[in-house]
Amino acid sequence: MRPLPRAVLSVVLLGVVMAAILPLVWMVSTSLKPEGQILSYPPRWLPATPTLENYTSVLRRFAFGRWTLNSVVVALAATSFVVLFDAMAGYALARLRSRGSDFLFALIVSMLLVPIQVTVIPLFLLFAEVRLLDSFTALILPTTANITGVLLMRQFFLGFPVELEEAARIDGAAEARIWWSVVIPMAGPALGAVAALTFVSSWNSLLWPLIAVNSDQVRTLPVGIAQYMGSHAGTSGSAPAYGPALASATMATLPALLIFLFLQRYFVRGIAMTGLKG
Amino acid sequence: MANLVRSAAAAGPLARTVDHAAVTRYLFLVPYLIVFALFRFGPIAGGWLISLTRWSLIGSPRWVGAANYRALWHDPLFWVSVKNTLAFTAVAGPMLVLGGLALALLVDQPLRGRHLARVMIFAPYAVMSAVVGVLWNWLYDTNFGILNYYLRLVGLPVVAWLTNERVALAAIALTTVWWTVGYNMVIFLAGLQEVPVELHEAAIVDGATFWQRFRSITLPLLTPTTYAVVILTLINTGQVFDQIYVMTAGGPGTATLTLVQYMYYQAFQTYNLGYGAAIAYATFVVLLVVTLIVQRLFRREVAA
Repeated sequence: MRPLPRAVLSVVLLGVVMAAILPLVWMVSTSLKPEGQILSYPPRWLPATPTLENYTSVLRRFAFGRWTLNSVVVALAATSFVVLFDAMAGYALARLRSRGSDFLFALIVSMLLVPIQVTVIPLFLLFAEVRLLDSFTALILPTTANITGVLLMRQFFLGFPVELEEAARIDGAAEARIWWSVVIPMAGPALGAVAALTFVSSWNSLLWPLIAVNSDQVRTLPVGIAQYMGSHAGTSGSAPAYGPALASATMATLPALLIFLFLQRYFVRGIAMTGLKG
Repeated sequence: MANLVRSAAAAGPLARTVDHAAVTRYLFLVPYLIVFALFRFGPIAGGWLISLTRWSLIGSPRWVGAANYRALWHDPLFWVSVKNTLAFTAVAGPMLVLGGLALALLVDQPLRGRHLARVMIFAPYAVMSAVVGVLWNWLYDTNFGILNYYLRLVGLPVVAWLTNERVALAAIALTTVWWTVGYNMVIFLAGLQEVPVELHEAAIVDGATFWQRFRSITLPLLTPTTYAVVILTLINTGQVFDQIYVMTAGGPGTATLTLVQYMYYQAFQTYNLGYGAAIAYATFVVLLVVTLIVQRLFRREVAA
């Protein structure tokens, strides 16, 4: 019936869960240790004398709060634009079904094949030309040209009953009004999925912000962490300063992890849709 | 009767609203099309033109035709980065796909705590890539890292995870599996729910074992999902940048120099923007070729 006895499977499952979670536990544990105990031998899972000194050191030496705020602003703005634009475009593409709109859709989807990295050099030159490098605009706008969201929304609206819209249309409602008060209220799950996926990808985004940004006023969390806590970020001594690095890692992770646990069904739905569309 | 009258009266205005509707819908496309043209399609097309120029930050671009591509062909670092990218994909890809499938099958079993386990296995995906790099730098530390501590404890030799040229790429692949295998698990799990329970029930009545059912029911019906996972994994591993940038920055030597790393180096550290654009397009071609090969393999699999 089952591949292996239930007990064996349970042990395997426990092992996998530990492998997933323990690195994060170790991250938090290390971040709470005073400098002298981080490299102590043998390693202790619970800090002997927990301290917040690594946290205060990070907050004192780096614009960590500012980076976090920047990341939140950029991710929220990008997500709002993507949800709005993709819900409009996905709906239009699902309902138009003319030769022109089908061609447009094919063109949009075909661009999925081209790695996003191809766009960073032209984007850099574009934003340099209009003198908008190192601005929120440069971080937010390129994210709005997202393709997966349009795909997911179109897919959702194709399965959405046209009859509801027809009823409103016969009642004389304008198209934009039908979209806003009939279609959108029913699209919650799809909108949530697109929002969750967009937020995470903006929140994580490293390559483009690394290129576009060079001041703390605009620097996002991943860029700050990569530039100041990465292996090549001036860890000149023999013992890298792991304490502050892991304190910032913890600060960047725990809020996101909590939000994630709260919204995980949206992620799961979004990701599942990504797989099923293929 | 009243209805009939009303619909007859409505026929006129309705005919007009149909056109009006189409216009509104095209208008609905406009905001997206503008950002798509400016920030996706335009840059993709523009990148091709830039790759045909010699373009550094100072001075104006000069048209050089295919010279960048000819130079790439003779550039040993380019071939190193092609090799590393393919090696990374070959190591991380199968672990991510097979691991994702195995985990999905595991958490699909009626085990206690499986719902919580799903969330926890997926949780590392919510960690940002820069943090993943910082964290694993510490886990992999040769002298003080916890991984080497446990290796020593069970009497195994210590591994210089990120400083040994022959290990570093595989170590980063392992990190990537930890980080994103839960994503593939979620897709497979959704695919598994689409497999009709009746098929399994019928097979059980006929005395089929788990593995027989897996091979002749689950796997064939899961093919579209598997295909999607394989392509997504391929694209993501082929474009790897973040973890490597934070953990090794391409080193030691050129052991973890991948195509996107090399593009970043050429375009934004030495400011050879034209050459960098050529590397970006070469990355596209490499990924396209690998994708087409995988697609053919799948088609044969389905036909067989």
